[in-house]
Amino acid sequence: MAITRINVGPIHPSTHGVLRLVVEVDGDTIKGVEPHIGFLHRGVEKLMENRMYMQSPSYVEKLDYAAPLGWEDLYVAAVEKALGVETKEYAGQIMTVLLEFQRIASHLLWLGTFCNDLGQFYTMFMWTFRERAKVMKFLEDYTGSRMFYVNRRIGGLNRNIAPDFKKRAYEVTDYLDKNIKSYRKVLDANPLFMERTKGVGVLSRSDAIEYGVSGPVLRGSGVRYDVRVSAPYYSYGKVSFDVPVGSNGDAYDRYMVRFNEMLESISIIRQVLASLPETGDALGMPIRLIGPAAKPDEVVVRRELPRGEGIIYMVPDKQKPYRISLRAPTFINLSVLSRLAVGEKFADLFSILGSLDVVMAEIDR
Amino acid sequence: MQEVLKERLVETLEDLKGEGFDYLDKITAVDYSTYIEAVYMLHNLSKGDEEIVKVKLQVPNPSLPTITGVFKAADWYERELAEMFGISILGRHVKKLLLEEWNGSEPPLLKSFQWGKDYKKRD
Repeated sequence: MAITRINVGPIHPSTHGVLRLVVEVDGDTIKGVEPHIGFLHRGVEKLMENRMYMQSPSYVEKLDYAAPLGWEDLYVAAVEKALGVETKEYAGQIMTVLLEFQRIASHLLWLGTFCNDLGQFYTMFMWTFRERAKVMKFLEDYTGSRMFYVNRRIGGLNRNIAPDFKKRAYEVTDYLDKNIKSYRKVLDANPLFMERTKGVGVLSRSDAIEYGVSGPVLRGSGVRYDVRVSAPYYSYGKVSFDVPVGSNGDAYDRYMVRFNEMLESISIIRQVLASLPETGDALGMPIRLIGPAAKPDEVVVRRELPRGEGIIYMVPDKQKPYRISLRAPTFINLSVLSRLAVGEKFADLFSILGSLDVVMAEIDR
Repeated sequence: MQEVLKERLVETLEDLKGEGFDYLDKITAVDYSTYIEAVYMLHNLSKGDEEIVKVKLQVPNPSLPTITGVFKAADWYERELAEMFGISILGRHVKKLLLEEWNGSEPPLLKSFQWGKDYKKRD
């Protein structure tokens, strides 16, 4: 049969942002996929080169609107390293709790939209968003903002936690624990979900490393690599948790990795809360336009974001970065789509794309 | 961190890959006005070691050999370098990636890039 070219996007409900795909099909079988990106390019790196250090956290937060806290923390940690400032231990403990809640919220959002992509409209979506709303409310109560927190300051946080922080955190984790576990029964007993994820979009272990993917996509292919374990920051070195990995590298394994990560996050939160003092000082430096001057040595900071490994490579100048380069995990995760989709059916394209969990704002920067 | 000559880049990366640095974290570049520095960040996933390889490129007309033969992950990073820094990547066809429909006079991440000069309202 002749090759047909199909255009998908840039505006499409399943591309999770503004992504255009040019798909070549032979009948129903995909022969090639070419992603066209850049519709959301804002030139964030260039903008940040022209802003003072603490003017930029709100820029980096908008990179991943599903999990802004991770990016914000990554950026401020890079600034701290350039200035030679240590994060307060108490602030780090609170940050661990908040970051893990953020990871759960991000994975819940992914699970809901992924099920939508698979054609199971709005049942899982309503459930996961119900749970996510609890997490968002919790984060709002203790950071002051629902979506874009801007909670991190040099050396610590914007505000100390309220006295009921621990109690509320325990309540939310108990609620999440109960509800998230109940999803398994629904999804694994659902032949439609299983058929459209098992054996679909297989990425082998060696290819996952060769193509440089990270996060749940890398771990779904069986590579046990997590920055929280290999280079622990904050309280991650003091808690014990498992790094879930898959074995087949298909869409189902990537789902399982994210699913188990949510349960591990709950366990991490509980462990940190158990050792968290009731009161303490978590406050960082207030934002001043002209702050302390940075040392000129280059800075590399890594963090395990919900979507993969985020890295900032920064060459600091005194009051603003001379050059800042952001490694967005989904940028490189999306680049394997052309490889994963070839040979699959056209209907499975969005199962594969969905399982990569892309956020276009982060890819286009 | 090590600095190598452009001619020795592919060879160096192949050697490092053989030593266990099997994962390419990122390729990026810094414009120092008198020269451009390309930065290759490698990672040993099993041991957790990191290594940075730097190459100095002369301006104008900077160029780099492609390393897609060593790391397939380099594909999109090289395309990004080409359009953001105007570096020609030798040994492969480089398509535009992020700025497909933009025809600015200068690569935007160079320090000499002027804000707003190429801004045009869309029809």
